[in-house]
Amino acid sequence: MATLRDIKRRIVGVKNTQQITKAMKMVAAARLRRAQENMTQARPYSRKILETLNDLMALEKEINNPLFQKREVKKIAILCVTSDRGLCGAFNMNVIRNTEMLIMDTYADYNREGNLHLYCIGKKANDYFSKRDVTIAAAHIGVMSHLKFEFAASIVSQLTQKYIAGEYDKVLLVHNEFKSVIQQKLTETQLLPIEALEGIETKTNHDAEFLFEPGKTEIFDYLIPKHLNAQFWRILLESYAAELGARMTAMDMATENAKEMIRSLQLTFNKVRQAAITKELLEIVSGADALKSSS
Amino acid sequence: MIKELSLEVITPSKSAFKGNVVSVSVPGTQGAFQVLFNHAPIMSTFEIGKIKIIDPGQNEIEYCTGGGYIEVLANKILIMAESFEHPDEIDFERAKKAEERARGRLTTRNSDIDIHRAEMSLQRSINRQKIYSKFH
Repeated sequence: MATLRDIKRRIVGVKNTQQITKAMKMVAAARLRRAQENMTQARPYSRKILETLNDLMALEKEINNPLFQKREVKKIAILCVTSDRGLCGAFNMNVIRNTEMLIMDTYADYNREGNLHLYCIGKKANDYFSKRDVTIAAAHIGVMSHLKFEFAASIVSQLTQKYIAGEYDKVLLVHNEFKSVIQQKLTETQLLPIEALEGIETKTNHDAEFLFEPGKTEIFDYLIPKHLNAQFWRILLESYAAELGARMTAMDMATENAKEMIRSLQLTFNKVRQAAITKELLEIVSGADALKSSS
Repeated sequence: MIKELSLEVITPSKSAFKGNVVSVSVPGTQGAFQVLFNHAPIMSTFEIGKIKIIDPGQNEIEYCTGGGYIEVLANKILIMAESFEHPDEIDFERAKKAEERARGRLTTRNSDIDIHRAEMSLQRSINRQKIYSKFH
């Protein structure tokens, strides 16, 4: 039977934990707001690029861009986007499990022959896969909390160069999509080859005779990498926002749990105290009775 | 009446400029050009350099850019720039460091280094310093 002091100590301990989880929730909420702001600010750029590309596609039927070319798949690169920090529920595990399934199941043959390269973004992916049987081409740790567009651009330019050089024939992304603050959606995106541009209605007036400098194709080829940059940038921003959302929910739940635990501990504490008082009273009364009957 | 065009500049991280202007000059890939009222519809890419904007009050402002794409249609200008910085926003020290870093990379000529990227980064940092020095 736990003594009064043991229970008291536990209550204090749980209260401390609750304070920490509450603070973490607040911090995540504040950061989430900023992350969401960044997300909305990045939207016009990627939208406009898509619109322009669609316009150009409508003007020119044939696409000769190498990034659209489908080849027989001999080598694959997979990018796994996770977080640097834990305590965000199943956020990382979902991505990691899906990636592992791709590696060990769908593309197991490629992995066995060393034709599968993994790029880890975020510490958690690297922690997990560095202990497993897979080739990690690069790990980028500590980038999520202060995302820079240059980072996204440099990764994309590396990958496109390797794609054009034939070092990879397919580039896949596994990441979390931000659906709402409390909801994340695990998504697989094919970065290369570009399959199709997401359908956005073209707005420009096609009757207008545009001047093209240097030329339609050149502009198209210039914009395609920019589109990939914007796409990857959006994915990173969304993943970060989703991470914060997941952490907020997880910490909220932990706080609730702690509250419940304190409640039940307090109840036991009261019961034990009452039992002790009753026992003491009983002893006094029976002592008095004994004295009375002996006299 | 002053003939104005509406201009919108978007960068990957934000919408950087929105408003009416009288003239915009950009460092086009096939030579710099200026867009005035009633310019013919054009789509063009532009290089690292400066974008000069003249607002309705005849004030001239030069912005620093890392290249991008411009579209003009019916007196509406849309610029999608890799970067778009007011001279006051330029971090001179950072640009200087970037220049040194890029020069270092180019002189070592290590096979791991992406020469094209280093050259672009060198150009960008020199461009930033140039525009900064002009206004400070």
